Amino acid sequence: MSERKQIIETRRPPKGRSLWKDAAGRLRRRKPAMVCLGVVIAYFLLAGSIHVGEFFDLKVGPTLWAEQVGRSYAPPSSKNVLGTDIFGQSVLRKTLYGAKISITVALCASLISIAIGVPLGAVAGYFRGFVDEVIVWLYSTLSSVPYILLILAFAVVLRDKTLFGYKVTGITAVYLAIGLTSWVGICRLVRGEIIKHKDREYVMAAVSYGCSRRRIIFRHLMPNVLHIVIIDFSLRFVAFVHAEVILSFLGLGESDRPSWGAMINDARMELSRGVWWQMAAATAAVFFFSLALNIFGDALRDSLDPKLRIQ
Amino acid sequence: MDFALKFLSILFVAALASIAGCDGSAPVEEPNEMVLHHVLYTKIAGLDPANISDIYSRIVASQIFETLYDYHFLKRPYELVPLLAKGMPQISEDRLVYTIIIKKGVYFQSDACFPGGKARELKAQDFVYSFKRIANIKTLSPSWACLDERILGLDEFRQYTKSCAGAEDVDYSRRVEGLQTPDDHTLVIKLTKPWPQFIYSALADTAFAPVAEEAVAYYGQDIISHPVGTGPFRLNVWRRGSYVELVRNPTFRVEPYPCEGESGDAEAGYLDDAGKPIPFADRVVWTVIEEYQPAWLLFLGGKVDAGVIPKDSFDEVVTAGGELTSAMKDRNIHLKTFSDPSTYWLGFNMADDILGKNKPLRRAISCAIDRERFIELFFNNRHLVAHGVIPPMMSSYNPEIEEKGHARYDPQKAEELLAEAVKVRGGKLPVLKIAMPGAGTWFRQYGQFLKRSLNAVGLEVEVQYMDRPTFQEKLRAGSVEMFASGASAAIPDAQEFLSLFYGKYRAGGPNAFNYSNPEFDRLYEKAQVLPDGPERRELYQEMELIVLEDCPAAFLNHRVAYVLRHDWYKNYKPHAFAFGLSKYRRIDLAKRAAYRELVKKIE
Repeated sequence: MSERKQIIETRRPPKGRSLWKDAAGRLRRRKPAMVCLGVVIAYFLLAGSIHVGEFFDLKVGPTLWAEQVGRSYAPPSSKNVLGTDIFGQSVLRKTLYGAKISITVALCASLISIAIGVPLGAVAGYFRGFVDEVIVWLYSTLSSVPYILLILAFAVVLRDKTLFGYKVTGITAVYLAIGLTSWVGICRLVRGEIIKHKDREYVMAAVSYGCSRRRIIFRHLMPNVLHIVIIDFSLRFVAFVHAEVILSFLGLGESDRPSWGAMINDARMELSRGVWWQMAAATAAVFFFSLALNIFGDALRDSLDPKLRIQ
Repeated sequence: MDFALKFLSILFVAALASIAGCDGSAPVEEPNEMVLHHVLYTKIAGLDPANISDIYSRIVASQIFETLYDYHFLKRPYELVPLLAKGMPQISEDRLVYTIIIKKGVYFQSDACFPGGKARELKAQDFVYSFKRIANIKTLSPSWACLDERILGLDEFRQYTKSCAGAEDVDYSRRVEGLQTPDDHTLVIKLTKPWPQFIYSALADTAFAPVAEEAVAYYGQDIISHPVGTGPFRLNVWRRGSYVELVRNPTFRVEPYPCEGESGDAEAGYLDDAGKPIPFADRVVWTVIEEYQPAWLLFLGGKVDAGVIPKDSFDEVVTAGGELTSAMKDRNIHLKTFSDPSTYWLGFNMADDILGKNKPLRRAISCAIDRERFIELFFNNRHLVAHGVIPPMMSSYNPEIEEKGHARYDPQKAEELLAEAVKVRGGKLPVLKIAMPGAGTWFRQYGQFLKRSLNAVGLEVEVQYMDRPTFQEKLRAGSVEMFASGASAAIPDAQEFLSLFYGKYRAGGPNAFNYSNPEFDRLYEKAQVLPDGPERRELYQEMELIVLEDCPAAFLNHRVAYVLRHDWYKNYKPHAFAFGLSKYRRIDLAKRAAYRELVKKIE
């Protein structure tokens, strides 16, 4: 019996590791990337907790950013760690609240761009021909317009408009503008990957089994190009945070609530009166978040790259 | 081959040189050339007097064009003196006919539009032409509102122009009863009803400056960039949106610098140049810089002769006692403050269903705004609290207006009034909207201030930021609930402020509040034809109290201007109403050169 069991054990193929498990293992071995992941998670938790706090109308921490805590332009002190702004509001609370705006915008914009870019790229790559030409023409045209100008144009056009009965206010206009203009990159990548995969054996097998095109694209091809989407998401997220900061700086973003771009815009003129803390707080918040996202994004790309897999 | 290569090299170098010459930089300044350097905080729209509506175009155009009358440069209170007229007008007893003698020996600048390009003498007919041109509906002049139903026969002329196919088809020789020229140097103007502000509002306004018919015919639509005037300067360069340069007009007559002023002027050095021929400057240069901070740095660098203090640099310049800081004194910079005839407010649309019918609500909003805090935060305590609509520098200002308490900050009373407002409304008040005429940092902070003030007393508001044209359009359409706005007087008379509340000026007119009160209108119509005097002043004060009682706006502040000048910039006496003052300015070239050298060493 034991001999038979041994035969079965030896005949069973060696237990392989999935792409995701392998990537997770390699990510864990990169200490700086893990620290950055911690920073990113902290930012996300902060944004999430502010959303929850506002939803349940909890009067704590950053949700009380509008409260006057001291005199105008009070410098950093033990009472107000990052000082106060023109209205005596805590700069620390505003900086923390800014995380919510930036992350919400970046997240919504990423989801919109993925929702547009991935299906279009997949369809173009799989069907080729006329469909591919139309989609390539569309994204080539869109990408020929300078990125920031395109976002600005969209933000100006969308602002205060009513779409499907919903009024597009500051923050919504920002993520719609970014999302609707930023799907080109992911669309190109997915299209390329699908073209590479569509003639592979597993796709041929699916075709020979009589699977529908939709099933082939979304059940067979998409899981095999999903790592590209994740890498792109992590790398683009930081660009979307920057775009939100730029739009807010230019007065096209959130106008009633604190955002990092608006804080930098306010602080620009305050520097001449020696008020540096608002500028320092907002730029530091953007810097650490961008740095953490970039390092983690790079590490994630390296971990998910099949060429770098350890056998 | 070598020859071809050399030829191509020379061609390339020549092309580079020509490109370098087109870099848009200012012409080089000669060491002994007197050049005035100014800043424009926004680009100018055009230099055609009939189509001037913004203050910056008016500033530049006033150096090129002249009017019949102008304000005395030095005397205070402000006094009108003849400029193109030989003397003050002869006014008939019924105050309807003005006879004005035009100065002889006044010439338009030499220009290609005149035969042989030579200067042509100014005639009374040029004034008639300019008035008719403003009346011509094809000119689309914003100044027509000032003449509407004022001059005998001019409204009929306007009606006639409606039937013409184009501006060039209008027959300007058509007779207008109220505009007569018995000879080349006599102008007779007949009014339909007495108009006490006529000399201030029309005869001393650059918009009504004489324009040569030949120039309009020659340049057509391009007249906005080819001004041909009689003034001390002529346009040399205008790079739209960045740079304007005027040069001395060689055909300008001999005009002396004023020999008298108010007390203290001689000690201040304003009479050092008395009797000397003006203008002193060879060129006047304006650089368009829309941000205050770069303009301020140019001023400190000695590249600009005078400037205003940005909000965030105020502490660096002025001490708590209102004196210049030692750093500024060491640079030989001088400070001048003066009251500006302006009032700013948070206006209410009286045609709005929520605000118009709810006086407690309007008064609650007014009580909820801490004006002193507003002035402290946004104007470094420089401005004055507006207790009413008439600015303190006006002769009709009511010194007891403060005691009425319409501008008092009282959050408790605001809450009580809000409770009353809820009863009037018959339910919860909706979120009110405030329209702001800008989206920049300043407007955003201003909006936040208003929102915080109103939220503090329990009123929910939404601030809507928009560009100025959108804001103006919404005001015209009456589609705003509340709006942040203000006005600055062009003449030393409070009528301009009170006209903003005149019932007939509603619906697209200057009355953006859509305010209407029959008693106010009656008093306004009565005051409109009265000459300046105690009776008119009393009427103005009575009208102001009616407005304050009805509360169509929460009046916030009156501006007090703080201007700085360098020591080398002479004869710089600020004026609240006159614009054509560059002819009086003089530069001490040695002092300017020394300052610039000093700045170079520091840098």
